[in-house]
Amino acid sequence: MCNDIHQGIKPPEICPTCMARNAYVEVSSEEAEKMMQPTRTQMDKEKFRKAIEAFTEENEFRINPDAERVSTLLEGMFHNEKNHGLKYCPCRLITTDFEEDLKLVCPCHFLVHDTYKEKGECWCGLFVRRKEDE
Amino acid sequence: MSELIMFHGRECPHCHAMMPLVDRLEQEEGIKLEKKEIWHNRENADLMRSLRDIIEPHCGGQLRTPTFLNTETNDVLCGEVPYETLKEWATR
Repeated sequence: MCNDIHQGIKPPEICPTCMARNAYVEVSSEEAEKMMQPTRTQMDKEKFRKAIEAFTEENEFRINPDAERVSTLLEGMFHNEKNHGLKYCPCRLITTDFEEDLKLVCPCHFLVHDTYKEKGECWCGLFVRRKEDE
Repeated sequence: MSELIMFHGRECPHCHAMMPLVDRLEQEEGIKLEKKEIWHNRENADLMRSLRDIIEPHCGGQLRTPTFLNTETNDVLCGEVPYETLKEWATR
């Protein structure tokens, strides 16, 4: 009922997406494939900013309170998406090895990086560790 | 190729922060740094990539900006640093 697609011989009793109980209906594989096609979504800078803000809500980090810095970084990411394919970090250069460069797509896995561990921020400074009272 | 290079990104805040220090260094020490923007200039990006083996060990295993490279000595500085550190690198 929420368009969650489950593949297998038996659906889960409780839907992991909408938590409805026993609410699955069997569909053809053709229909399931159609439903799994990605939709074309326009994502402007403001929408992306809100998306990453939501991503930080339940985490130990937040978006940098320096709005000008955030704006500059978003400008760079959207330039990179338009000209280089993905929202690569504006403070690091791609190697041209696609798989390697996926590590540079924002938000990256900055929690394991030295700069986050030592200074409490990702390399570009878009994400910063929350202070105790935040 | 110039002896002292600064690789930077137009939308990199660390690079913005370092620019006034670079200007000061150039004025006070009479040194010229070759500033190479890497996200809007393919030649500069290719040059930085060609120097991966020299740069990455000093920059967390990545090609981060800003990167300061002395092409004669292969001395590398990475990220935001105090003026004295930049000067020490440039005049070493």
